[in-house]
Amino acid sequence: MRTRFPTTFRIAALAVLLALSSNLALVGFLYVRTRDQDQAVRERILEEARALAAVAPDSALDKAVRDTLATGDSQLVAERFDRDGRPLAGNVGQLLPPVAMAAGPVLQISRLRLTDEPAPSECGYVVRSLGADGWLLSGRELGERYALQRTIERSLLLALVLSLGLGVGCGLLIARDVGKRVSALAEGVDQVAEVSGGALDRRLPLTGAGDSFDRLAERINRMLDRIERLMNELRLLTDSLAHDLRSPVGRLRARIERAMNTADDGQRDVLLGGVLQETDTLMRIIATVLEIGRSEAGGGREQFAWLDPRALVDELGEMFEPLAEEAGITLEVLGSGHGAMQLFGHEQLLAQAVSNLVDNAMKHAAAGGAMQLFAQRDGETVRLGVADRGPGIAPADREAARRRFGRLDASRSVAGAGLGLTLVEAIAHLHGGVLELDDNWPGLRAQLHLPLRQGSIATAGRAA
Amino acid sequence: MGETMGRKILLVEDDSETALYLSRGLAEEGHSVEHVSDAREGLYLASDMGFDLIILDRMVPGMDGLSMLRALRAAGVDTPVLVLSALATVGDRIEGLEAGSDDYLVKPFSFAELLARANALLRRADGKAAAPDLRLVVGDLEIEPLARTVKRAGKQIELKPREYRLLEYFARNAGRVVTRTMLLEQVWEYHFDPGTNVIDVHVSRLRRKIEDGFDQPILHTVRGAGYRLAAAG
Repeated sequence: MRTRFPTTFRIAALAVLLALSSNLALVGFLYVRTRDQDQAVRERILEEARALAAVAPDSALDKAVRDTLATGDSQLVAERFDRDGRPLAGNVGQLLPPVAMAAGPVLQISRLRLTDEPAPSECGYVVRSLGADGWLLSGRELGERYALQRTIERSLLLALVLSLGLGVGCGLLIARDVGKRVSALAEGVDQVAEVSGGALDRRLPLTGAGDSFDRLAERINRMLDRIERLMNELRLLTDSLAHDLRSPVGRLRARIERAMNTADDGQRDVLLGGVLQETDTLMRIIATVLEIGRSEAGGGREQFAWLDPRALVDELGEMFEPLAEEAGITLEVLGSGHGAMQLFGHEQLLAQAVSNLVDNAMKHAAAGGAMQLFAQRDGETVRLGVADRGPGIAPADREAARRRFGRLDASRSVAGAGLGLTLVEAIAHLHGGVLELDDNWPGLRAQLHLPLRQGSIATAGRAA
Repeated sequence: MGETMGRKILLVEDDSETALYLSRGLAEEGHSVEHVSDAREGLYLASDMGFDLIILDRMVPGMDGLSMLRALRAAGVDTPVLVLSALATVGDRIEGLEAGSDDYLVKPFSFAELLARANALLRRADGKAAAPDLRLVVGDLEIEPLARTVKRAGKQIELKPREYRLLEYFARNAGRVVTRTMLLEQVWEYHFDPGTNVIDVHVSRLRRKIEDGFDQPILHTVRGAGYRLAAAG
């Protein structure tokens, strides 16, 4: 349902209501209680009047009046008047008002001048006719009670005003705070979402309070992480396709042009064969770039299954062994660790990753003469990869080796597009793991370090 | 290749140039090709026209190619399907195979590759492929699938398990071209590109074992396409 009032207004109104109700409850309770006591006083006055009325209207009555007053209860009022209303005995210092005589034996409240007080004071009393013997008045001074009552009434009013003020203040404060948090979030989102020059790497600030605003901010941040990653992938993809495919496409074009311009049929066939080859190379680069993009974006997880990494390494070892032998390399497969080892992963992609590592080692470390393929368990993780005895990669160059189209030999003496390790790293990331490039003393130890179950290994080796 | 001559092939492909190129090539091989460029039409034709093979582009108008394939399989049509696709990642290939296709070929491809795969599928559909347990004979080469033994001219040849599987695959496709990617997918069950001549090395090892010491070559290299196991002549 849509509401006409903004959230902040409703929060403020709620605060006012809350303050008001709590204050009113307290003061109201007091008010009701004093009203109850007031009732008790009234009953007491009537009771006392009845007691005095029981006394015979003669000298004993005057004595009873004096005795009553002598009890020390300063609030007591008692007086015997003559038939004309003149005071005879007691503490009232004025004539009995005719209105009081006419009222009969009911409780009346009016001001009376008392003998021991300078000013008339509010009294509650009962006037009883004694026939020829005059009138008897008995009652109580109400001044203090009335003052209390008025104080409570004033408190009630004060409470009303205070809670209104407090509520409005509180409401405004809460509304301002909420508004501030919300606009901080909105501002953060705006900074990211700005059409031109929006900064995708911005994140919403967390206050650390762990409240719902923080949780919202965290979620938005997670969403931004994912968007940023996807955007980066897309940018890298388009950048590499636009920039790095220039040279193979250029070569392709040159070959086609030469084939078109040549008059010799034999040479044209050779050139066209080269064109076909260049096309295949180009397609391979594009396929690899797409594979990297897909893996980095988390694609292919639906094809994960339980597999034994040692069996995977064994099969690859068997596949590459003849090739290694031809290149004069002894290829050894090490499957270590006890008990069954099961990894939840993508068999084809992992095989591709390890085969890329083998391919790299064959190209760059054939001189070393030895190569090891391994799958080693380390707690709840596994390391699988290739160790060679070649020249290795200097620590300073390791980041460059991971980069897309990053090639360490500037001369490009060895064929390859420089995508191999990038793809391996992307596949490691897809499995929640990392690609580690370590020294093999001498040589290179290139390995995928993966969690056996779903989860992730701290991306220590991953520089931005 | 007489055994796979003159078959009915349905081509579902929206790119007219690729379609023309494939239709002509397949027609030259003696097949009759029906071409449609829309998946719905393809589904309609495939359901009741009795084709021997369907070549299906994964991205065609009207309907996603894989959806069409699933619909076809759900309707009980078990005509072999070769899926062509520009989607080249390993995940895409596996998805394509899991959707019920018999083979998956990434664009662009060489015609030789397509033809080799199409022929393999046609042969399999004919039921002409030998029963798994039956003895395979190619010229003077004899293979016993149950015992996993190989003899040539009566002489026993020792093969490693993978070499045996390689040879058995060649023998089951005897006389026809088998490409490197077919070997990689069928013998090693890898659906990625290892990027080296790893298959060639395995084949030349196998060739040494079955040809060294015998007069006639039996495992031939077909330039620009792959290999073929065939008796001399």
